[in-house]
Amino acid sequence: MGKFAVLQFYALLKREVLEHRNIFIGAPVVVALLLLVATTWVAMQIDQSQLAEGLRFVSVLFDGLSPLDMAPFVMLLAIPFYLTLYVCSVIYLINTLYQDRKEMSVLFWQSMPVSNFQTVLSKIVAIVLVAPIFYVLIIFAMYLIAMVWLTILGISSDVDLVGIGYLFLAAIASLVLIYISAVVTGLWLLPSVGWLLLFSAFAKKTPLLWAGGVFILVGFLEDFIFGTQFLANWVASRTSDPNQYLIFEFQSVFEKGF
Amino acid sequence: MSNIVEAKSLTKNYGSFTALDGVDLTIPRGAISGLIGPNGAGKTTTLKALIGLCDVDGELSVAGRDPRIARHKLMEDVCFIADVGILPKWLKVSHVIDYVEAVHPRFDRKRAEKFLSTTDIPANKRIKDLSKGMVTQLHLALVMAIEVQLLVLDEPTLGLDIIYRKEFYDRLLNDFYDGNRTIIISTHQVEEIETLLSHLVFINKGKIVLDSSMSDLSDIYTEVLVDADMVEQADALQPLYVRKLLGKKSYTFESVPREQLKILGELHTPSVADLFVAKLKEEKHG
Repeated sequence: MGKFAVLQFYALLKREVLEHRNIFIGAPVVVALLLLVATTWVAMQIDQSQLAEGLRFVSVLFDGLSPLDMAPFVMLLAIPFYLTLYVCSVIYLINTLYQDRKEMSVLFWQSMPVSNFQTVLSKIVAIVLVAPIFYVLIIFAMYLIAMVWLTILGISSDVDLVGIGYLFLAAIASLVLIYISAVVTGLWLLPSVGWLLLFSAFAKKTPLLWAGGVFILVGFLEDFIFGTQFLANWVASRTSDPNQYLIFEFQSVFEKGF
Repeated sequence: MSNIVEAKSLTKNYGSFTALDGVDLTIPRGAISGLIGPNGAGKTTTLKALIGLCDVDGELSVAGRDPRIARHKLMEDVCFIADVGILPKWLKVSHVIDYVEAVHPRFDRKRAEKFLSTTDIPANKRIKDLSKGMVTQLHLALVMAIEVQLLVLDEPTLGLDIIYRKEFYDRLLNDFYDGNRTIIISTHQVEEIETLLSHLVFINKGKIVLDSSMSDLSDIYTEVLVDADMVEQADALQPLYVRKLLGKKSYTFESVPREQLKILGELHTPSVADLFVAKLKEEKHG
């Protein structure tokens, strides 16, 4: 691949982020702000000595433990972001090609020397590989703010800062885990990604309804005609057990941690 | 190859509606070609087919490629401006320039910026905040900065006021057209582009009604302002179209030698608009 092709693909990704900046940046920023505000509110309800006691407990818990071992626990804090990314991905995938057609800008995009393959690939790469980068950066910013608070609280309440330092290291390590597991989840769900894009590209109206409706209809017809539920079982088996696509089993992590 | 567009029996159906019904079309390189037709005649479908945005049946070659197979390769040599709405509304002007610069190997950023500096378009505004005229100016500035062989314009000045329309065509002719490039313009505002054209195509109900160079046109079609006493003789020559004009009758003839018509009255080459009406009426009756 030549230099021009790389720059060209970069421009396609940039276009996706700019066009859907609410999905890539706006949504996780809102979640981060909500979490910070909610935490502050809860902290204000609690007596400061109790707060300091809690912090001391965390500090002692993390002190001296490998940040890599503790990262999966800190990762649990990112669950709201994970869910947001999930919902945003569905919204993005079902709208992205549909919107271009609806506002006629598809004529402009297609009047450029970019193949349909490159366009679709850029959308998949944008949501599966690029979106998690933005989420991780925003979570990192949120952790930084939280760490400043905890450090101030630690100093004023005479809590051992080394433990808090370990907590911070575990938080940083968890960012890598968040990114990798978001990407792995995205890859695992590629069939759904393709399915949503398909309807985004061809549905005349309400692509989400079509994507869901056709799927349910096919499952229903399978049941009705053949009396089997292969489709439903296949989807259920791929989605019901997160251990299939999470990069580690929480159970073993817990056993290792304690 | 002397023809930039060669199309044979292009056919396109939308359900039971036939948009293109065996369109044959050849457009020579270097032509400024007008594609004229009433609403729903198949203009947009034809143009979209030329640039691979619409799947059609039939033989088609544009700039030596089949647009249905290699649209993205073709678009290195072809640019397209449609009715003003198509630049993405959420993009900033500077973003559009960045984007085209990154994806188009033949784009000259300096040239685009030079064109833009002669307009009032601010670089940090979003497309949706620009007036219709400005969006078209911007699109034209982008296209003029791309080294292409063929420019396809689909109703490019629809909804613009007269100043923008005039400026648009002035720029096109003075800054874009160099004698080697080919321009195809579809419109139903015929009068406006009549003087630019070197080639003319009429389309109606998915069929090509006329495909001719402007110079051949004056050889084939003659308009005669017939004196009252010559009307019978004029009728005998099987006119294409007759209309009343300030008490006299204006006859349009196809392929009747001018020598023969001279005696009937004053001879003209019909305007494109009159010829268009004549050809469409002929379709209806013939």
